[in-house]
Amino acid sequence: MPLPAVQEGVAKAGDTEVHYYDSSRDLGAGLDERDPSIGLPNPPVVLLHGTGGSAENSFWALYPMLAMRHRVVAFDFVDPSDVNQTGTLEEYVAQAVAVIDTVRDGGPCHVVGYSFGAEIASALAAQRSDLVAALVLIAGWSTTDAHQLMRNSIWQQLYDEQSAALAEFMVFTGYSHRFILAKTPAELKELISSVRNGPDRSAKMRFNRTVAIADLLSQITAPTLVIGCTEDIMAPVRHSRVIFGGIDNARYAEVIAGHGVVHERPAELFTLIDTFLKDPEATPASHQFGATHA
Amino acid sequence: MPDGTQALMDARTGSPARPIAHAEVEVLIIGTGFSGIGLATMLRRSGRHSFLMLERAWSIGGTWRDNTYPGAACDIQSHLYSYSFRPNPEWSHLYATQAEILAYLQQISDEEELAPHIVFGAEVLEANWDDERRRWIVKTDSGEYVAKALVSAAGHLSDPTLPDIPGLDRFGGKLFHSARWDSSHRWEQQRVGVIGTGASAIQIVPELAKSAAQVTVFQRTAPYIVPRKEYEYSKAEQRMFARLPGTAQAIRDDLFWDNEARFPQRRGVPAFIDQITKVSLAHLEAQVADPDLRERLTPHYAIGCKRILISNDYYPALCQANVELNTDGIERITPGAVETRTGREIDLDLLVVATGFEATDLPIAHRIVGRDNHLLSDHWSDGGRAFACTTVTRFPNFFVMLGPNTGLGAGSMIYMVETQIAYICEAIDYLLERDADIEPDPEAEEEYVESIHARSVGSVWLSGGCHSWYVHPGSGRLTALWPDFMSQFRAENGHFNPEHYLVSVANT
Repeated sequence: MPLPAVQEGVAKAGDTEVHYYDSSRDLGAGLDERDPSIGLPNPPVVLLHGTGGSAENSFWALYPMLAMRHRVVAFDFVDPSDVNQTGTLEEYVAQAVAVIDTVRDGGPCHVVGYSFGAEIASALAAQRSDLVAALVLIAGWSTTDAHQLMRNSIWQQLYDEQSAALAEFMVFTGYSHRFILAKTPAELKELISSVRNGPDRSAKMRFNRTVAIADLLSQITAPTLVIGCTEDIMAPVRHSRVIFGGIDNARYAEVIAGHGVVHERPAELFTLIDTFLKDPEATPASHQFGATHA
Repeated sequence: MPDGTQALMDARTGSPARPIAHAEVEVLIIGTGFSGIGLATMLRRSGRHSFLMLERAWSIGGTWRDNTYPGAACDIQSHLYSYSFRPNPEWSHLYATQAEILAYLQQISDEEELAPHIVFGAEVLEANWDDERRRWIVKTDSGEYVAKALVSAAGHLSDPTLPDIPGLDRFGGKLFHSARWDSSHRWEQQRVGVIGTGASAIQIVPELAKSAAQVTVFQRTAPYIVPRKEYEYSKAEQRMFARLPGTAQAIRDDLFWDNEARFPQRRGVPAFIDQITKVSLAHLEAQVADPDLRERLTPHYAIGCKRILISNDYYPALCQANVELNTDGIERITPGAVETRTGREIDLDLLVVATGFEATDLPIAHRIVGRDNHLLSDHWSDGGRAFACTTVTRFPNFFVMLGPNTGLGAGSMIYMVETQIAYICEAIDYLLERDADIEPDPEAEEEYVESIHARSVGSVWLSGGCHSWYVHPGSGRLTALWPDFMSQFRAENGHFNPEHYLVSVANT
C-alpha cells in the first residue's frame, strides 16, 4: 500500500506469514478527535481483498478513503505454496484471524470483505463472533451457482490455453456496461493490460468454484451491512440479496456497478461503509439503504 | 402574502416598471445566480411567496450572465451541473456552454414564475440588522427593503480583480476583464495579449488564436490541464432522458460518484496524485512537441493545489505560429504595449485581463452589518468563517450561500447549493414559524471552523507548494474550499438543527 504513514507488519498463521498494512491513527488529519467515542478507540477496519490477488489491487481507492476517518488494516491473502493445491476456507480464515489478533486494541475489529474476501469474512464472523464488531460484505455469494461455474470454466480454459483473450474477458465480465463506455479507447486498453499483468488468481479461482457457506450465515451475529451490485455478472446481485436474507442482523444496500465496484464506485462504497460503521446499530436489522442521488 | 410583495408585483406589471422604493418581505435574497434562483424556486414551491431577490444587473444568471467571453463553458458535466429538482433532458453535450447554462437558468426563472420576485438594478449598498425591529434593513440604489431573513447569494466569483501591474490604467488600446467581455469589439487581425492562465484564459485563448494576428499569453504559473471528454447527446438520447427520467438520473449519479472519487487527489493520497499527474503530463506531452514550450508549460507544484483545468484545444493553440507563451513576467504596461521584465515591448491592440475574481475578501461582506454594528468583513478579517458554512454569529437570521469553505476542487457547486437550499429553507421555516431570531452559538462556530481547519491540514491546497485564492493570504487558512467529500458536506449540513443556535423570541 503506497500511502504515507502506513506501517507494514507480518502476522503469523501457523507457518504462514501474512503481510498487512496498517494506516495507523494519524493519517486522518485529526479526524479521530472528532469522534465522540470515549474509552476504547474505535475498532480498526480490516479489509479482506477479492480474487484479484492483493490488498492494493482491491483497495487502492477504498483504503485511503476509509483511512481519512478510521484506522484501516489491509493484508494480502497467501495461497498454498504448491500451485496445484487449492486453499481451504479454514486456511484463509486463519490468516484473517492472525492479522486481526495482531492489530486489534483488545476489542474486536470491523471487518469488510469484498468478493472472495466476503466469503472469508462471512465464515470468520460466523466462527469467531468475538473478533467482529461489525461486518460489511461487498459483492459476495454464499453458494457458487451454475452461472458462476460456467464463467469460471471459460476463464479456466482461457487461462490454461494462455489465451490473449483472457484479460479482455476479465474486463468484460468484471465491469459494468457504463463503466466500460466511460473509458476512452486508450484508457480501456490500459485497463486490459493492467489486468493482464496482474497477480495470478488461479488458486482463488479454484477456491471460488467450491464456495458453500450458506449454512454459516445464520450463525453471524455482528451487525452486518450487505452491499450488492446491480450490474454484477460475476456474483450477480441476487447472491447479495440471499445473504441479506440469511443473516439475522443484516442491513442492505445496492450500488449500480459491476463486480469491480471497488474501482467503479469507490466513493459510494466508502460513504456507505463509513456511515454504517459510525454506528452499526443506528438502523435496525432488515433496513435497506436507499440510493443516494446527487 | 405581505403587502410589500403584492405592491411590488403590482408595480411590476407593465413595463419598464421601476420597483417601488420600499417593501417588506419575509426573506430577501441578494443575487440571482445559481444560488439565488435555486433558493427562490424551492421557497416558492414550498408555498412561501413573500420574498424578493435583489439583483444589481438587469438580468439573471450571476456568473453565467457575466462570463460571456468566447469559448465560455462549464468544466463540470451538465447532467451534474444542474439542479436535481430541475433536470434538463436537452443538454446538448457532456459539457455545456455558457449560453446553454444561462438559457437553462432563464427557463427556470420563467417556469417557476420568479420574475415578480426579482428587483433588477438594485445593488445592495448596505444591509443592517435592526435589533429593535428585529429585521434586516437593506439599502439599495433603487430603494430600501426590509425582511426577517437575509440571504447572501452573491457568489464568490462575481467581482473581477485586476492585477496590480504598473501602468495598467494607462493602456491606450482596448482593455477588458474576461468577465466583462465587450462583444462589440472585433479582435480579428489584431495583436492581442491575455494576462492569466486560469480557467477563463484557457477557454479564451483558443478562440482568439483562430483569427487574431498575434496572441501573447502572459503566464505566471503553469496550470495542470487534463483532457476534456467530448460527447454530444443524440436526439434519441435526449428523448430517452425525457421519456425515461431514470436514465438521466443514472448519468447524474455516475458523474457525482466519479467526481466524488477524485477527492483523495486533493488529500494528497499518492495513488490518486500519481494517476492524475500522469494523465495531465501525458496530455501535455501528446499535444506539445517543442521541448522548450513543454518545459515552460510543466507545473512545479502538486497537482490540485490550484484548480485542475480541462481542455483539448489550449495546448494546440499555444503551438500555433500566431501564438506566443510569454513567461518573462510583466514589468509594466505602457500606453501601447506590455513591457516584460526582460525589457521586451510587446505591442498590443487588445489586452484581455483573465486574472479571476475577488474571492478571499468578498465585497459584499463590507456591506453587511450585524448586531452591535459588527461588519461582516471584520468578522472575516482572518478569512471567511461560518457555522455549517452558512450562518454567522452576531448576524441574526442571516445566511450566506457559497460562502466560506463551500468551493470544491473536485465536484459540482450545484450539489453544494442544493445542500444549502435545504438547510436555509428549514432554518427559515423554523424562525418564521416561531417569530424567532437565530444565530449560531459562537462556540459552535469556532468548533466548526476548527474542524474544517483540521481537515484541510495536509491537503494539496495547503501543502502543495503553490499560491492560490483558495487560501486566505493573512491567516494562511483554507477558506474558499470544502476540505472533504461532497457527501460529507450534505451529511453535516443538509438539515438545520437549532441545537447549535442562540434562539431569541420577541417578548409578547
